[in-house]
Amino acid sequence: MNSKTPISAKDSYQRIKVSRDQCTGCRLCLQVCGLMHFDEINPKKAAMRVEAKFPDPGKYRPYVCTQCGKCAEACPVGAISQNDKGAFIVDKAMCDNCGACVTACPFGVVFQHPDLDFVIICDFCMICTEMCNTGAIVPWMRKAAAGDAEAARG
Amino acid sequence: MARGFAGTTLHVDLTRGTILRQPTDEALFRRWHGGRGVVAKICYDEVPRDADPLGPENVFIITTSPMSGCLIPAGSKVEFGSVSPLTNGQGDSNMGGHLGPALKFAGYDMVIFKGISPQPVYLTIDNDAVELKEASAYWGMKSLDLEKRLKEDLGEDFEIATIGPAGENGILFSCITHDFGRQAGRTGQGAVMGSKRLKAIAVRGNKSLHVHDRAGLTKHVTDIIKRTQKHPNMEPWQKYGTAFFIRWSNDNGVMPTRNFQTTYYEDTDKIDGDQLVEKCLITHKACFGCWMNCGKYTKAVIPGKPEVHLEGPEYETGSLCGANLGMKDINHVAYINWLLDNLGMDSMSGGGVIAFAMECFERGLVTEKDLEGHQLRWGSVDDVEHFLDMVAYRRGIGDWFARGTKQAAERIGRGSEKFAMQVKGQEMSGYDGRWAPGMLLSYMTADIGAHHNRSWTITVDIAEGRETIQGRAKIVVYLQHIRPLMDTWCICRLFWGELDITPEEIVETLNLITGWGVTPEDCLRTSEMTWNLNRCHYLERNRADGRTFDYPPARSWEDKIPTGPGKGKGVSREQVEAMLDDYYAARGWDQKGNPTRAVLEDLGLKDAADNLERIGLLGAPLSGGIPAVRGQKYKPKAF
Amino acid sequence: MIIFFKAGSELRHRLNPDVDYYTRRVEADPGKSVKDILKDLGLDPAFVAFVYVEGKVKNLDYVPSEGQTITLQPPVSGG
Repeated sequence: MNSKTPISAKDSYQRIKVSRDQCTGCRLCLQVCGLMHFDEINPKKAAMRVEAKFPDPGKYRPYVCTQCGKCAEACPVGAISQNDKGAFIVDKAMCDNCGACVTACPFGVVFQHPDLDFVIICDFCMICTEMCNTGAIVPWMRKAAAGDAEAARG
Repeated sequence: MARGFAGTTLHVDLTRGTILRQPTDEALFRRWHGGRGVVAKICYDEVPRDADPLGPENVFIITTSPMSGCLIPAGSKVEFGSVSPLTNGQGDSNMGGHLGPALKFAGYDMVIFKGISPQPVYLTIDNDAVELKEASAYWGMKSLDLEKRLKEDLGEDFEIATIGPAGENGILFSCITHDFGRQAGRTGQGAVMGSKRLKAIAVRGNKSLHVHDRAGLTKHVTDIIKRTQKHPNMEPWQKYGTAFFIRWSNDNGVMPTRNFQTTYYEDTDKIDGDQLVEKCLITHKACFGCWMNCGKYTKAVIPGKPEVHLEGPEYETGSLCGANLGMKDINHVAYINWLLDNLGMDSMSGGGVIAFAMECFERGLVTEKDLEGHQLRWGSVDDVEHFLDMVAYRRGIGDWFARGTKQAAERIGRGSEKFAMQVKGQEMSGYDGRWAPGMLLSYMTADIGAHHNRSWTITVDIAEGRETIQGRAKIVVYLQHIRPLMDTWCICRLFWGELDITPEEIVETLNLITGWGVTPEDCLRTSEMTWNLNRCHYLERNRADGRTFDYPPARSWEDKIPTGPGKGKGVSREQVEAMLDDYYAARGWDQKGNPTRAVLEDLGLKDAADNLERIGLLGAPLSGGIPAVRGQKYKPKAF
Repeated sequence: MIIFFKAGSELRHRLNPDVDYYTRRVEADPGKSVKDILKDLGLDPAFVAFVYVEGKVKNLDYVPSEGQTITLQPPVSGG
């Protein structure tokens, strides 16, 4: 519960692998994420994002959590800790929405929303990967040798 | 309010620069459902019959439906509407992408513009913050260039729609562009936007939408998604979009070739779907909530020209700017697509106008002198580039073509009206109707001119006989009710219509969102009501019997198809007349093409009947009465 | 030789799929076109708009090879 809890990266952790060239920008992932966690139709309450890079190079780039732990390190009140699935979970009561984790996240996948007084971080429920029909985001178990950041960025 | 609605409608008076927020008129949407339906009603009620479509009294509507953005696949469309400067009747056009959902998530169901701004403006919507901003710095910019610029200036997460120089200059078939390649192309909505000095709209929102039965909707939609994910029809759509149709169209002798001179193009293999995917594809591109990703984001690479990126060419542009212009390289077709997109002209009417001009040049009706020393030859991308520049900026004879083929032919004369391939002022879609009489009838009778989106019958024509008109009219009427429901609900026909999703399932989705409890029959009647209202509006504006406006260009019956599988085929003038007779009877209209009181009152349109009667255009009562149900669904024999 | 036909919509019912929801296993003479194989099965090829094989769009004159899966595309609604 304190901010010095060690962050680990285990082969057993559930991850998401991004094959970014497969992404076509449909944003179904964002829709179901918001629905699953907040019971609302709102893609801006999702725990991931899709960037559109047009007209050059003309590609979509999904960004998902890489379980790097920088959000937990940055949190001044120790509200973020890693569970046994590898996901970084926000203690909603403890979080005071200061946004330090938002700034610390290297991929911009920690989110704040005006309706909420806590931040949104991916809990690896994997529903986004069930909805994606192009293979842009798929379930993945971490391999020791692969670069985490690269796999998540695709 | 909820139940799919965002809750607020914006009323923008551009003359005074004011923005009024009002609760969305739920009763209006209940009666007309949304999209094309509310556009029809608002245009009918609010635009004076003698108003200039490019003047201050025209409305310009951007609208969604309660279904838009509500967790359903392909609920992405946004509908634009106004009185069309191209057809002088009610006009509407929609596009996919992400703008419609963004409007809903920002809190708005509809934006209605009136008046004309004294200086160029653009509208920004950022949740509750709605502003008209000065656009002088952007005026003159091309569509795609401006979208890139606005994303830099405002933020990448804004959804943006723009007009190009063509819209600013009042080219009658100007379009509106969004998401770097989706267009609301038909009926000149870009010209109306430009006439109001409205250069762009930028929208961003993060609010939630609420529906009548969210648990039920989630289950219903998840079932549909899981069932359709592996549907056999999905893969070619995902890989090619509609471009896979190019070869089919040619093999079946409906490919518009060199201004519809013939219907079989000998160089189709240079411009078909395989060429597009192999030579030009950068990424597949989806609209909001749809993984059919039929969009093809591509590059056009031509030696001596800069590489350009665009979305397309999809079937219509691929045929009308491909075979129809005699192009022999997919990169050239893509480049012409990009020119039209960036200048801001409908690529369908654009292809039709270029082709018409090419035939005029071929016949010596338009000369090098008229073209600033250039030519306009079949297959020449350079000639097309120069010609489009003249049109977009209305230089010299470009001013004539800027008005569309109908008005260009009126000025050029010398028999050119025969091969101005349009009806009611709007150019034909990418299918030749001479060997597909139902398709020809579809073009003749669509409310917005020769457009296929209302009714498309080529497979019916092939199945039932391509040289007979038997039974075609009732099928066209049915299609003219069911297909525009997609435009009314702002959902995409390609997803909801091609993957075995039944009308009952679509209506169930609507009911789960809105709680309206309507049946498919109710929805068809709503669509028929919209259809008839638009017809009444058209007659009131154009002041002549409807039949006057329902004829195709004379090429349709005078020129038999000269080459290819359809060689020697074609409809006769008698068949054209007989199809109209059948059609009006099927609709409960009189033989002059005017709606009768019986059918209008059956649809709840007594006021429209009274208005027609006042100007002497109400249809004479039918001696046998009107059909109880207008239109009949096609039942294929083999199924 | 053995090939597989795959279809959705009303074509699927006529096809009597036996491999999975969409797919039917077919014994066909080598060298015959899809059009002729359909006729042999009692299916009117007029209701197949075109075929899709190994990622490419073909027409009804396509001659399949052993083991191929041919997706039969029904009439579409235009675009």
